[in-house]
Amino acid sequence: MTGVYSGISFLKAGALLALVFFSFLMLRISLQYVPYAPDVAFLRIKQDVVHHSWYLPAFYVHVWTSFFLLLPGFTQFSEKIRSKIPALHRAMGRLYVTVILLFAAPSGFVIGLVANGGLPSRLAFCLLAGLWFLYTLMGLRAILRGDVAQHRAFLLRSFALSLSAITLRAWKWFLVFLLAPRPMDVYMVVAWLGWIPNLLAVELYLYYERGKKETGHIE
Amino acid sequence: MNRCMYCIFVATLLSSCQKSSPERMIGTYVGWFKKTDSAARAAARDNKINITIEAVERNTMRGRSIVAGNERPFTGTFTAQGEYFQVNAAEPGDDRYDGSFSFLVKPAEGILIGSWIPNKPTATVTRTEYTLNRTEFTYNPDRDLPRSLNWFALYNEDASRLHDIDFGGELLTEDVSRFNASKVLLKKEDVENMHKGDLEVLRNSIYARHGYSFKRRKMRYVFDQIDWYVPVATDVRDQLTDLEQKNIALIKRYEEHAAAYYDSFGR
Repeated sequence: MTGVYSGISFLKAGALLALVFFSFLMLRISLQYVPYAPDVAFLRIKQDVVHHSWYLPAFYVHVWTSFFLLLPGFTQFSEKIRSKIPALHRAMGRLYVTVILLFAAPSGFVIGLVANGGLPSRLAFCLLAGLWFLYTLMGLRAILRGDVAQHRAFLLRSFALSLSAITLRAWKWFLVFLLAPRPMDVYMVVAWLGWIPNLLAVELYLYYERGKKETGHIE
Repeated sequence: MNRCMYCIFVATLLSSCQKSSPERMIGTYVGWFKKTDSAARAAARDNKINITIEAVERNTMRGRSIVAGNERPFTGTFTAQGEYFQVNAAEPGDDRYDGSFSFLVKPAEGILIGSWIPNKPTATVTRTEYTLNRTEFTYNPDRDLPRSLNWFALYNEDASRLHDIDFGGELLTEDVSRFNASKVLLKKEDVENMHKGDLEVLRNSIYARHGYSFKRRKMRYVFDQIDWYVPVATDVRDQLTDLEQKNIALIKRYEEHAAAYYDSFGR
């Protein structure tokens, strides 16, 4: 029993370390866009759309708010925090839901409309933003009516999509390392690959958890 | 018939007159500047050289050479050898790569053949030999990057044996020959899906059409292989057309983006 327990802790510790590492990388990426400038980093190849009055506000809202969505990853999955410091869980939850519903998802949808790579990647990013908004909203509504199980399921899905910021970039790095594809080819691929496996993993996890529950193998 | 014979006679007379005229040496001659030392050949690749004879007087002449982005004047003397001219000329001597030329000019054939010896030989700067052809350089925006060239092999298969050039793991593909960046105003969609290696050569093809002599070894290696490429100047910036300047700015943007982000976790 202790063996299983320490195995799980190792897994948790590994996940936390990975989150720390990738959050640090994401912070560095986000800080490229501080202070505001219309022609840095990614914007260097968006010069055909930056003249739209709505583009740069949406872009900057997205990059300046989205980083904070990784922070709940450190608190919201902890049973201890939920039971011993519920105020922290609620505060982080409010931050997470507010940032996604009011800022990150709508701005993500708007910049997704003119994403590089044409229709395939535009569809992917807009769908991602839509589902992100939807799952987060459903998770919020579930807890407001006291449905903890649904709250948990929807926010797991939502966070899986939040992690696409990391997984998209990791896939890109890996595919370039492996195959050296053309830059927009890889972009169109990771626009989908960045979030669909994440979502599938959560659905699979929830599915097996339900199965365990039904057969009574869960504590 | 008589009249015809007369014309031929006069033409022959005139051309034989011209043959003995040293002014006929004046012109631009281009070809490979070949190292004769095997160690030097192994250390660095040969370059295309341009030797231009600008003026001749009784028995003196002057001109300039351009090779690997280095433009140097020279002055010398010549002697007539039948229809040919033997030239001995020296560069000023204040550049560490200066040396002296000894070549034979065959005006009728349009050939310049000879050797060059550096004042201060080093491991890579040694005696060279060359057989150059007279070339008229004119800027021509219609010159395309040839599709027939095996672009992929240039950076990939050749890379293993070309220790003197750092390709930085970049890819060069046939995509590079899709556009003529001196004729077509490129759009974002044209360049955004190109490898950095392709973008770099596409941008530099604009300079190559103007006869820019590349200082960068990698670009010399690429453009020296292209028939129409003639190095004639070390700065062509003031000759670029508006369209070319716009294309250069666009391509540069994507090159820089690729350099910063293509193989990294980020942006």
